[in-house]
Amino acid sequence: MGDKADVWQGTLALMVLRTLETMGPQHGYGLARRIEQTSGDHLALNYGTLYPALLKLEQEGYIRSQWGTSENNRRAKFYELTKAGQRYLRKAAREWELTTEILARFLHPAEEA
Amino acid sequence: MRVVNTLRPAQDEDIGDELESHLAMDIERGVRNGLSPEEARRQALIRLGGMEQVRNAYRERRGLPWPESLLRDLHYSFRSLARHRSVTAIAILSISLGIGSNTTIFSLASRFVLRPAPVGDPSTLLSLHTLHDGDQCCNEFPWPVYSDVRQQAGVFSGVAAYYDLIPASISGGTEPERVWGQSVTPNFFRVAELPMVLGSGFSDGDDKTPVVVLSERLWRRRFNSDKGIIGGSINLSGHPYTVTGIAPAAFHSIDQILNAEFWVPLGMTPQFAVSLPPHDARDYHWLSVIARVAPGVTRKQVAAELDTIAQRLAAAYPATDKGNRFLFDQAGSLPPRDRGTALLFLAALSIVVLLLLAIAGFNVANLLFAQALNRQREMAIRLAVGATRARLRRLLIIESLMLGLAGGLAGVLLSLWSTDALSSLQLPAPVPLNMRVSVDGRTLLYSFLISLISGFLLGLAPAWAASRPRVANALKGDVAFTGGGRRISVRNLLVVAQVAMALILLSITGLFLRSLESASQIDLGFQSRGLLLLSVDPRLNGYSPAKTGAFLEQLRERAAALPGVDAAVLTDVALLSGGNRSEGFTVAGHSGEKDPTVLADLYMVTPGYFNALQTPLVAGRDFSHDSAGGPRVAVVNKAFADRLFAGANPIGQRIDDNGLIYQIIGVVGNAKSRTVGEDTRAILYRSLDQSIANDPSMMGYTLVVHTPGDPATLAQPVMRQVHALDSSMAIYNVETMKQHVRAAYILPRVAAMLFGVFGGIGLILATVGLYGVMSFTVSRRTREIGIRMAMGARRSTVLQLVLRRGMALTFVALALGWPAAWMLAKIASAFLYGISPHDALTFTAVPVILFCVALVAAWLPARRAAAVNPTEALRTD
Repeated sequence: MGDKADVWQGTLALMVLRTLETMGPQHGYGLARRIEQTSGDHLALNYGTLYPALLKLEQEGYIRSQWGTSENNRRAKFYELTKAGQRYLRKAAREWELTTEILARFLHPAEEA
Repeated sequence: MRVVNTLRPAQDEDIGDELESHLAMDIERGVRNGLSPEEARRQALIRLGGMEQVRNAYRERRGLPWPESLLRDLHYSFRSLARHRSVTAIAILSISLGIGSNTTIFSLASRFVLRPAPVGDPSTLLSLHTLHDGDQCCNEFPWPVYSDVRQQAGVFSGVAAYYDLIPASISGGTEPERVWGQSVTPNFFRVAELPMVLGSGFSDGDDKTPVVVLSERLWRRRFNSDKGIIGGSINLSGHPYTVTGIAPAAFHSIDQILNAEFWVPLGMTPQFAVSLPPHDARDYHWLSVIARVAPGVTRKQVAAELDTIAQRLAAAYPATDKGNRFLFDQAGSLPPRDRGTALLFLAALSIVVLLLLAIAGFNVANLLFAQALNRQREMAIRLAVGATRARLRRLLIIESLMLGLAGGLAGVLLSLWSTDALSSLQLPAPVPLNMRVSVDGRTLLYSFLISLISGFLLGLAPAWAASRPRVANALKGDVAFTGGGRRISVRNLLVVAQVAMALILLSITGLFLRSLESASQIDLGFQSRGLLLLSVDPRLNGYSPAKTGAFLEQLRERAAALPGVDAAVLTDVALLSGGNRSEGFTVAGHSGEKDPTVLADLYMVTPGYFNALQTPLVAGRDFSHDSAGGPRVAVVNKAFADRLFAGANPIGQRIDDNGLIYQIIGVVGNAKSRTVGEDTRAILYRSLDQSIANDPSMMGYTLVVHTPGDPATLAQPVMRQVHALDSSMAIYNVETMKQHVRAAYILPRVAAMLFGVFGGIGLILATVGLYGVMSFTVSRRTREIGIRMAMGARRSTVLQLVLRRGMALTFVALALGWPAAWMLAKIASAFLYGISPHDALTFTAVPVILFCVALVAAWLPARRAAAVNPTEALRTD
């Protein structure tokens, strides 16, 4: 586990929203697994932090939840992206891309030359 | 501590179910991957980080149930306010000045306009008035008219009348004292539904019985609240009266202005007042009337029935009742004659204090706004660790609400003091007035509400500003919100509004100060230096008219013989006592409806009076000791002569006062008769010797003593002379003429004082506001200024840069405020003495003064900006 990165503060929300956008409604466990898989198993996600994060997003109106039945016929709470969530995701994604782009220029100045 | 744990159990269940479902899925996967169920469960729990921990984190995130979180917010707000101590102190001080002023003025409105009379069910008790077509509102009732209304009006369950002021001397126990009371019809206390503190009111047969109801104050003051007094006898003006009851403490009189201390039956009035009109005269208006509306009757029905009665009376008694109407309002309202003026004055004051509160509010808003910008970093951290923006906004609103309430509390304390100061002012009236103003429940409620509203409004802007920092930038210590290039910021708007309001406030203040100045230059028409006044009313001690005359003459001679006294004269009421008896005069033999009439104030004087007051004799002669039985003579003032004789020589002319014929023997200069601000009134002086027997004064008599030295030192010697003549004689109104005149200036003085205080506070607050904004701008622009200077800008350029900004704001504010002040000044015109509401000096001086103050407020920060060291400035930020 030592070579796995921790989730940076503030990025988990972005990952959750993006995952919901691509996969559609999803329950907590599914989201957690999906995030780990998408990161190529580079991330060590503490599943416990996911649920407060989901609640925060729900409180802010970016996602909504509903109880439903999972693929294995298990009762689970499903999360879904809202309109406001989509807008926020686009905005946050742009800001994040800008940040990484700037950082990239610093870290790889040779490419510019 | 969980205050309310049971409020939202459903959500706790919810997260439990969700975590169970999560675990189940994770275990399922582990088992699929070949682990034993126990091992799969163990690993799943590790990955989850422990059920209880997650539950706790979740609960933390969800937030507390509201009472608990509110407590937490309150606690946090309190800590935050305590941390920014100086900002908090300035804010609370500003708000308290604003709210204190509003509370003070509202307590006046509450006392004089909103407070119902302290009678049973005040909403159904009416005061009735009569109004003759073409006359000013309103008049009292003649006895027969009262009697007719009482018998004919079915809309009332009871109608009562009273004579509003009679003087009496009360003796026994301590020193004799003059007190004022009212005489009332026996049903008065029943109609008013006044519950007696002790004993009872009058019964129907009491109209000519010597019984008395005492005020609670008189009972306490003179009889030590002795419960045994009911049924006992007291001495009123030499007559024994049986005490039947003690009126409630809150009750002074129906009109809530006069301060009556005893009540006797109306039929006993002649023992206290002479020359009462006969009961059958339909044209002497002397009774005040109250009426209790019968249950279920509307005001409309009352108006209709009174109109019908008025028409019926007009038809039956055309000579006296034609053109008479009845008016009514709720008992205890301001007297209709003065209501307009009083309301206007209160309105002007209300506008001023609301402006003051607005200025104070803008000041605090600016302060909080600046603070909010500085707290963006704090807010950003809170957002980053998971606070919601709504929560932040709530926190800031709670903070400002606490500021508002703290300011309100301090303001109420302030107004306790100010209403006390207002109550202690002595009004120049010869009759007892109850002008006590205090902070009552209604006022407290009002203060609480405006504190809440101010607090809420104050919090809006900072809450909005502080709760939307861009987290990433703010965390780095960069203030993203300032939006550097914006020219019209909220702060600038606030300061413009503030300065504009200060201009309005100061203009009104200036007008009142100018008015006081101009009032102090009014020619009173007499000289107040070296005069001592002292009043007695021997009639109240049971003196016959002849004995009264002899007593007064002896007193005058004794006073004149005192060392240092060069003149002693008598009059009934001193000039400038607020009100006086007046009557209509015609030229004798021309007393028809169409002939010219002069309404003149009547004074009694003795020979030498004009000399003592240095009122110039313009023509004719002063009184000599004209014999009491001889032809009546009078001295009139110039205004009287001009109005009735229009240039003809008045000396020797005979004039008619409802059948009493006077011969004019002299003309004197005009003098202010009732108030300092009045237009010149006609005055007729008559001989005291000739009037004392058949038309004595209701107000007693005033000895006027003149000395070249300090008149105050004469007070004790003259009082000793009174008591040497009669040790039981009550003495009142002992004062020098200077003090008396000073009291007469109370209205311009109080107005100037109130507006001066409010204007001063407003100016200080606005100056602080402007200074604050300029300082803030400079501190924000330190780096920019540093760069400019590094690039070669000179200090003078920087100084100009900052000054220009401050001055631009000031100019905009003055351009907006000046026309508003110009328009509002009209409201004040009714209260100004001798200056126009658009007084040129005020309207030029005030903007100039305000501009200079603004210049200083902007110059100080500008100088600081110019002193910026470029290298330092560039390094620090």
